[in-house]
Amino acid sequence: MAIQETTPLPQSGLNYARPDTFYDEVFGPDGEIREHWRYLLEGLGGMGDAGLQERQRKAERILRDDGATYNISSDTENNRTWGLDPVPLLIGSEEWSRIETGLIERAELFDLVLKDLYGPRELIRQRILPPELVYSHHGFLRPCQDLRLPGDKQLIFHAVDMVRGADGKMVVIGDRTQAPSGAGYALENRTVMSRVLPSLFRDSQVHRLSLYFQALRRKMASLSPNGDSPRVVILTPGAYSETYFEHTYLANYLGYSLVQGGDLTVRNGYVWMKSLDGLHRVDIIMRRVDDTWCDPVELRADSHLGVPGLLEVARAGNVVITNPLGTGVLENPALHKFMPKVAEFFLGHELQLPSTQTWWAGEPDDLRYMLDNLDKLIIKPTARRSGDHSIYGASLSKEKLDELKARINSNPMHFIAQKANLPGSSPSWQNGKLQARSTVLRSFAVADQSAYSIMPGGLTRVASSDEQWIVSNQLGATSKDTWVLASEPQRQVSYIEERSATFTEDQTSDLPSRVVENLFWLGRYSERAEAGMRLLRTVLIQLNSLSYLPTTVHDLMLKAVTQVTTTYPGFTQNNANLLAQPEKELMSVILDRRRPGSVTANLHAMLNCSEETKEMLSADSHRVINDLRDELAQLPQLLSSGLSIAPEEALDPLVTSLLAFSGLTQESMIRGFGWRFLELGRRLERTLQSTALLRAMLVPVLEDSEQEQVMETVLLTSEVLITYRRRYRIRPQLDHGLTLIMLDKTNPRSLHYQVDLLRQHIEQLQSRDNSPILSEEHRAILEALTLVQLSRPAELAVGAEDSGVREALDKRLARIQTLLSNVATAISDRYFDHRSGPQQLVQTGWSEEP
Amino acid sequence: MIYRIRHVTHYEYVSPVSLCYNRAHLLPRNTPRQQCLSTQIRITPTPVYSVRREDFYSNLYYYFSIQEAHKSLQIDVTSQIKTLQPQMNFDLDLGNSCARALELTRMAVDEETLLAREFCLDSPMIRASEQVREYAAPLFTPDRPLLSAVRELTSRIFQDFKYDPGFSTVATPLNEVLEHKRGVCQDFAHLAIACLRSLGYAARYVSGYLETLPPPGQEKLVGSDASHAWFAVYSPGEGWFEFDPTNDNIPSEQHITTAMGRDYGDVTPLRGVIFDGGGSQKLEVSVDVAAMPES
Repeated sequence: MAIQETTPLPQSGLNYARPDTFYDEVFGPDGEIREHWRYLLEGLGGMGDAGLQERQRKAERILRDDGATYNISSDTENNRTWGLDPVPLLIGSEEWSRIETGLIERAELFDLVLKDLYGPRELIRQRILPPELVYSHHGFLRPCQDLRLPGDKQLIFHAVDMVRGADGKMVVIGDRTQAPSGAGYALENRTVMSRVLPSLFRDSQVHRLSLYFQALRRKMASLSPNGDSPRVVILTPGAYSETYFEHTYLANYLGYSLVQGGDLTVRNGYVWMKSLDGLHRVDIIMRRVDDTWCDPVELRADSHLGVPGLLEVARAGNVVITNPLGTGVLENPALHKFMPKVAEFFLGHELQLPSTQTWWAGEPDDLRYMLDNLDKLIIKPTARRSGDHSIYGASLSKEKLDELKARINSNPMHFIAQKANLPGSSPSWQNGKLQARSTVLRSFAVADQSAYSIMPGGLTRVASSDEQWIVSNQLGATSKDTWVLASEPQRQVSYIEERSATFTEDQTSDLPSRVVENLFWLGRYSERAEAGMRLLRTVLIQLNSLSYLPTTVHDLMLKAVTQVTTTYPGFTQNNANLLAQPEKELMSVILDRRRPGSVTANLHAMLNCSEETKEMLSADSHRVINDLRDELAQLPQLLSSGLSIAPEEALDPLVTSLLAFSGLTQESMIRGFGWRFLELGRRLERTLQSTALLRAMLVPVLEDSEQEQVMETVLLTSEVLITYRRRYRIRPQLDHGLTLIMLDKTNPRSLHYQVDLLRQHIEQLQSRDNSPILSEEHRAILEALTLVQLSRPAELAVGAEDSGVREALDKRLARIQTLLSNVATAISDRYFDHRSGPQQLVQTGWSEEP
Repeated sequence: MIYRIRHVTHYEYVSPVSLCYNRAHLLPRNTPRQQCLSTQIRITPTPVYSVRREDFYSNLYYYFSIQEAHKSLQIDVTSQIKTLQPQMNFDLDLGNSCARALELTRMAVDEETLLAREFCLDSPMIRASEQVREYAAPLFTPDRPLLSAVRELTSRIFQDFKYDPGFSTVATPLNEVLEHKRGVCQDFAHLAIACLRSLGYAARYVSGYLETLPPPGQEKLVGSDASHAWFAVYSPGEGWFEFDPTNDNIPSEQHITTAMGRDYGDVTPLRGVIFDGGGSQKLEVSVDVAAMPES
């Protein structure tokens, strides 16, 4: 886009050139600034470039702290923070009311089409739609014939992508009808904008989004197939899904449980959620999993994202799925071509909000036109699949064009073309200035009683460069808040205030056991990582220490690193070279992500668990997790100069973040099942780590001075060296050390303290169980606690002269380790799901999709 | 004729299955030339949920799930079916020519033809291909009556391909069948359908049974029958016509239909998901088709 002469904005420190796009949101055809933009532009102008830049930075920070991401790939490392442009898109109230009417009409029409396609198919019988258009589409799911939800409306959610048409009015370029995403991002955008531009936002009289979400909740409640106060869940494909943030965000905002396919099970003709205290019936599933993946029994047999048997439960009317399965057929963009006829057939008049001109290669004339004009068109497949996106013909080389022609020719029914209108532009703050960028608006409709409610505004996406013609998040587009300006001030309504108070004391039943299991492992991995780093820190300090380090102590410490982190064989293989040159191995124990037990591997595992439990963690916790992720990413660089210069300092920020995380969960997490299992995991792991450390370091008998050095290392690692010195005022001795580390009830890192906490948690968990016979884990923890309590440090400190080891100590610690492992196994067996995944009864090996 | 058909499917698993969900296309439907007088289905262990439903193509299917651990699963279906000879003893040399059939399919002046066009399209297990087209095209000359060409296609497949139960599983892709020139009834039906669709005709898959007669003087063995498959082609204005490429004949009273669909995938006798266990499962199927004395 060439930039014409810069038009200075009114009293402004900002420059926005009137672009040569055919339509710009700010400038009217006469080159004048449109009335509804004036106030905002004056306000932004008052801030100047620097001010706007600062707002953008602030917005970025908030989004990052909220954990707002859009996952481009399945690798959680590459989660990109959701991009938000500090300049909103403005729509005047008159224009909006026209758009809104059009959107309602369109949603109603799509609802009629849906009911017809899975019912009588009059559209085919009456020749409104060619049979091939429906029957060849992958979204047309024959097992969904005659599936009905309670109530008249079958299409519950409808999202529409719009751009400016040639006459400046909005035209539709796409419909999303399966599991439309974006409403949650729109809400997050609004939340952030109202914080970074508070006064501009307040004074601009922007329509509130909360009414849309109220309508949504109302609709969900009305759909219940099984009576009042239905249990609603949001079904997510999981933490690797592109829009996982939105799933967690909406779950929290709406107060619904977030579940994955594996959290649900079909029994006795109903759908149930697996939670710690058993199965809870699920009445409504708001799905974010695409149609064909939802049930391997009747749909894609190779899906692991769905719930086996789900479709039959929906068919029997015992669960409601929104949008219903099969709605993907409405996402076929070839329908655009036929919408005028369809509207005429059902409504008797044209659509107020038209579709952009569309050709369908399934019709010979259209195919010919497409092949002749490929370089002027945007080509889309009729069914969306990951990796497939719109192709702009003009951007292709001769060879690529020929390739595309061949693809279309070999399967014409699966391609459509749309006129390559450049979308209109709007000002976007990019690279420190206002630039005109292609703009697409996604709107959201939800069925509400007899009609549809439209979110006022929606999610605006803008291209990230002026060369981008196709605006897609996959291609790096950024987003905008969309302000529909009211003619009078808006009343503040928040959904939370309006909600009737239903206080559930026990959170248990709202938590899928998978989430609890991930919290348990979150606790375990964070302790494991911390223990590993603590030991490594101490060992690194000792290795670099100026004072003399005897070989026995040196080797013992290195072997302890291997033993505590379980990165076998490592230093335990008695390789003299390795012990003499430990740097490479130590680096690997810190940095090698693929090595189980390494610091990096443990932290990654912990971060993955935190993704799975995202909706359970507070905003502050997200901030700490973000820091941790950044620090971990920087670790290789910090250690790039090797282990010679204060390498332990590279680990310090990570230890601090882990402690901050632990403190936050301790201070701000509700004491429900989730917290208890996080704690169980922590305590269990810490005890296991401490026993491993004591066994590795203190079991071998050394001569006195060396023994002191080792004892000091253990005390330092266990954070009690200072206490020891204060209390005993003598050089580190084994029996005193053991007293402090094993028995001292006032030392929060002592075995006694930790095991006793474990006992309390286990007893709490089982307090509702009235059986006089103790559970496996209860017995094991009582025995472990008794063994700790009955320990006499002086006896344990005695070593056998012939074997060179402290047998009593080793035996005692080994027994405690075994007992704690039994506790872990028993807890996992009792509370977590161990059923192996579904398999096909008959492996056909055929794919459902060509 | 009236037939009593018993179809027993028996799975043995190495380790117990804790939960299963299944969809069985084992209940014969009514068609213009057959009437299902009764069907009983017995499943062991007893399903906790079961329901008889009609699918998209008006076939009957039985949906069931079992929630108790089981190492064997048995589905025992007994049906009584009354079959008729094809309504018209149609003359293969009359009716639409190939060219006319194609033109009428495209125009689709009546609703039946319009809806039959679904069966011109590729389906999950059947893709039209150049290879298949080349095999069949020479038979379908424009002026030749369509049904006569299809009858010859049926014979060609019968002659060119070897019936070999050892070669094919349910999942043999068509190009392999074509390459090795062998397969079972499903494969031959799929092949014929692919040929017809690649030329632009509507064709569908039919699953069912065939009464087999023992060699003269011998007793018929119990359980020796098998489920069978063939295909039907659509001639606009004239209807659907069935052909059996495995036996090189036109289905008659001895052919009993269970279900119809785009391909085997639409009417798989048993499809489902199991949890846990399974392992190397053993499948035994026995089918008896017995002619009953007319009362």
